[in-house]
Amino acid sequence: MTMLGAREGTLSGLRKLVAAAMARDLRVFVLPGPEIARAHRLDLSAAGLQMVASPRHASVLLVVGDMPPTLLTAATVVYAQMMRPRALFVLGDGKTGALPPADVRAPLSPEGLVAGVVQLRDAFAKGAFRTATSDFDAPALGTRIEYVCPMHPEVVRDEPGDCPKCGMTLMPREASSQRHGAGHGDHVGHEGHGTQDGQTAGDDHDGHGQHGDHGSHHEHDDDGGAATPGAAAEDYTCSMHPEVSRPGPGKCPKCGMTLVPRSELAEGAEHGGHGGHAGKHTAHPADRHDASTAAEDYTCSMHPEVSRPEPGKCPKCGMTLVPRSELAEGAEHGGHGQHGGHAGKHAAHPADRHDASAAAEDYTCSMHPEVSQPGPGKCPKCGMTLVPRSELAEGAEHGGHGQHGGHAAHGHGAQGNGGGQGSSGHGAHGGDHGGSGTDHGSMDHAGMGFMSMVEVTKDLPRSGDGLPMEWIDAPFGPFFPGLPGGLSLNLTLDGDTIARAEAAAMSDPADLLPSGSMTPDAFAARLSGLVPLAPMSYALLARRAIEAAAGIEMPDGAARSRIVALERERIASHLNWLALFAHQNGLEDLAVRAASLQLAVAWADVAAIEERGPALRALCDRVRRVPLLRARLSGVGRLADADDLRGPVSRASGGTADGRSDDPASVALGFAPVSTGGGDALARLRQRIDEIGQSLALIAAAGSTAAPAPVETGAVSGQGTAIVETPRGAATLQVTLEVGKVTAAKISTPSVRHLALVPALCDQQELGDAMVAIGSLDLCPWEARL
Amino acid sequence: MSVALILLFLAVAVYLVAVLESWAAGGRLRLEAPIMAAVALLGRESVLPRKPDRLFFEAGPILLLVAALLAVAVIPLAPGLIVTDLATGALFLNAVLAYVLVALIMAGWGPNGAYGMIGGWRFLGQFIAYSMLIVMPITAVAMRAESLTTTEIVMSQTELWNIAYQPLGFVLFMIAGMGLTFLPPFDLPNAAGDLAGGVEAEYSGARLAVFRLGRMVLIVAVAGATVTFYLGGWLGPVLPPWAWSAVKILAVAAAMLLVGRYMPRVREAQYLALSWKLGVPLALANIFLVGVIALVVPI
Repeated sequence: MTMLGAREGTLSGLRKLVAAAMARDLRVFVLPGPEIARAHRLDLSAAGLQMVASPRHASVLLVVGDMPPTLLTAATVVYAQMMRPRALFVLGDGKTGALPPADVRAPLSPEGLVAGVVQLRDAFAKGAFRTATSDFDAPALGTRIEYVCPMHPEVVRDEPGDCPKCGMTLMPREASSQRHGAGHGDHVGHEGHGTQDGQTAGDDHDGHGQHGDHGSHHEHDDDGGAATPGAAAEDYTCSMHPEVSRPGPGKCPKCGMTLVPRSELAEGAEHGGHGGHAGKHTAHPADRHDASTAAEDYTCSMHPEVSRPEPGKCPKCGMTLVPRSELAEGAEHGGHGQHGGHAGKHAAHPADRHDASAAAEDYTCSMHPEVSQPGPGKCPKCGMTLVPRSELAEGAEHGGHGQHGGHAAHGHGAQGNGGGQGSSGHGAHGGDHGGSGTDHGSMDHAGMGFMSMVEVTKDLPRSGDGLPMEWIDAPFGPFFPGLPGGLSLNLTLDGDTIARAEAAAMSDPADLLPSGSMTPDAFAARLSGLVPLAPMSYALLARRAIEAAAGIEMPDGAARSRIVALERERIASHLNWLALFAHQNGLEDLAVRAASLQLAVAWADVAAIEERGPALRALCDRVRRVPLLRARLSGVGRLADADDLRGPVSRASGGTADGRSDDPASVALGFAPVSTGGGDALARLRQRIDEIGQSLALIAAAGSTAAPAPVETGAVSGQGTAIVETPRGAATLQVTLEVGKVTAAKISTPSVRHLALVPALCDQQELGDAMVAIGSLDLCPWEARL
Repeated sequence: MSVALILLFLAVAVYLVAVLESWAAGGRLRLEAPIMAAVALLGRESVLPRKPDRLFFEAGPILLLVAALLAVAVIPLAPGLIVTDLATGALFLNAVLAYVLVALIMAGWGPNGAYGMIGGWRFLGQFIAYSMLIVMPITAVAMRAESLTTTEIVMSQTELWNIAYQPLGFVLFMIAGMGLTFLPPFDLPNAAGDLAGGVEAEYSGARLAVFRLGRMVLIVAVAGATVTFYLGGWLGPVLPPWAWSAVKILAVAAAMLLVGRYMPRVREAQYLALSWKLGVPLALANIFLVGVIALVVPI
């Protein structure tokens, strides 16, 4: 048994023990999500798999069923983020896209899961370590190193060398994903993992975060990995395959890329410094030589490296910024053209402040830069001893990262990732330039103590609470542990408050009728297969629409058994949601109970469901009595009932619309809609709990599970519309039949409407509250494909 | 000798706490689970995320472990069975536990990832909520013992354990202790459901093993502090003193681990508001009451 994700090493002695332990301790990251696994009747923890929250902690990547292409792309990133040894475990015969071939593949069934886990354990015990391992690469991870001149940004080469214009050595940097061409424009790749991408996601231009796998290989630490710290001077390596080592330049034997000196690679990759520097230097030509950009560019007459898109104060000395064009003019008139900084300084005074003139004698307060007097003394505002302004300026520059400030502000896209740790200054511009993640910028400034926080933060974007902070963009999803699989959130976080939110479900629409026309049975099967979270409801929707088109009336018994199937799915779906929602909120006890009941009920017959009735009611009572639940949920994600709400979400806001009210068979069984007021997450939870009880009553009243005989539609033609109250709300389907075949279909699903509510729901909410609000909607990203 | 005994004791306690935690997480009691998990973690790769603050990234888990170990040093397991019987033991404990905050912020900041960083800052907010409720109940405990020495504090409870003498302080200290050990429902910095592991999200392999070990030792240390301050330390009939310490520490740790399964994660703003608006006044009242009782009642 060979495992593609084996770790390098020989399987002998101690490693055998380690491999045996790994085989016993399988940590699994589930794609598209644990709720899909439960919907397929898989009990992962009973099979011996422990679910983890981060791919970094997982040893097994479990893919359940079919995933659309965007999710497969994101899955490659998740796989790359996993630590070796790692295994890919696929249930069902779905495609795996750019993922490596499955290490273990088993049928998508509870038995398949158990059998697969046995194979997995065997794979780990025998194949966790191998002497020769293969790299994993996928288009979503691709990046390459290019070489750019520090002074002439237009000079970009694929190989190291000297700049043809100025002869300077070209600096390596990672190529931006756009330059890469096919495959990389798709940034979905960032999402699933989120973690190490958080910092780069803000910068649309770079594809770095995608680098999971290579990152892990480049930056192997001391535990005997592939990277060998060699004699840096002579050692050439591949930027993609660091294990490659040659004494001189050449091509990589694995991928054919040009080898680069390891020292350069290390600098580029680890320190992130060069990226930043490159950005810094390339900024100059743009600023100094290009008059066209000067018009909107404000700068400090003391610190020409400072650059702001709008008027304000200099973050270094507090002076009022002046348009660079003015400054440049002044410089020219002053005849100091060549002397960048000085010219600026002198030229400033006619235009601006006279008191800045004699820099040497000018004393100021380190806290109140507007204070200025010709000699030493105390600050009239705070009583601190005044310091010479020149010292202050120097201090600011020596203070660490100060001098990078202005440059970074230009946000030179492709390599803007310099913000990683070296260059600060991003901080001040966070919002404008995408914030470039968690760069440690403005904090450094604040630490210097030479200027007030007010000055430092005045250019930062303000959120509703008025507290200026760096904004960071962080992806949550499509495989985020607390959200339904397939849902991608891109949150712009202001501290832990959400300043902006974008939500997207699966972005690849599925064709309802891929071959133009289908038999009714095939159409129903296709529709139900597209929504794994509510297959029964959508199969029923297809059947009803087709019957309406064919003009067939269902006999009473068949209608009743359909109600049983629909209500059973509602109970199971609400329980599945409850398991996810409870897990999101840390209510693990409730999550376990809801998940096990869901597995017990989802495929049970009426007798078995009635047998579970007491347990279900006990669970519902338990939910109502969870301590502190009201404090956690009430007021979170409040929605007023409006036209765009559907299903339980609408009824939790006081709405009464329910597709079952229009279904005579349901009404005959005593159905009446239940509706909870409140409209917040707590109300939605209670609404679903109440609906579980209601569905139990309906099933008891219907009492039969005789499977409805398949209805022959015959070779009829016509058009029909049906509405089914799915667990998430009413879905409408309109089909056209031509000679007994479905030739056109149009569908409207509830989750699509709810998805559109997410940005408004998150706005200015604390992160945890926003996640709860989104979780309480019970979104089904699969419906967005229809 | 006593240091070796204490380390042995600690190792066993950490192991049992880890068994409890895996039970709480997986729903099944498997005695070998922590050993398998630890060995598997050590055998897995541990990589640096991109552009980390390397110093913080490496130091965070180690600092957490060191802080927790230092806290254990002043917890008496039996008369004479203590690493160092400082005259300022209770104060030392307090000071050492403050480094948990530093360790978590470093671990959150170091990897340069959004989830970790938010987790780290969340813990800073959490610290503001729990920290006074660690200090103030300890003050009342020291008032009764008229000493900051932990062994003296245990001896002061010979007649009546502090859990009965100052129940209010016990409740506040327990809640604050769970905040300090970031156990559910106070697992804001490493929440799985809304932060994908938060501070832990970027750690893997051996570094993650150190982080988790540090957390376990911290849980044992805080449980030990609770036992020392409120449950009469090693005092008890029949069983030898060390056994009483062991039983009590494990019971407290188990309670801390299990109670969070039944409660939703707190909202940070509410946690802060409650801690300061309700917790701090109650802690003050506790100090006042204990002062009055100590003056009036001779126990």
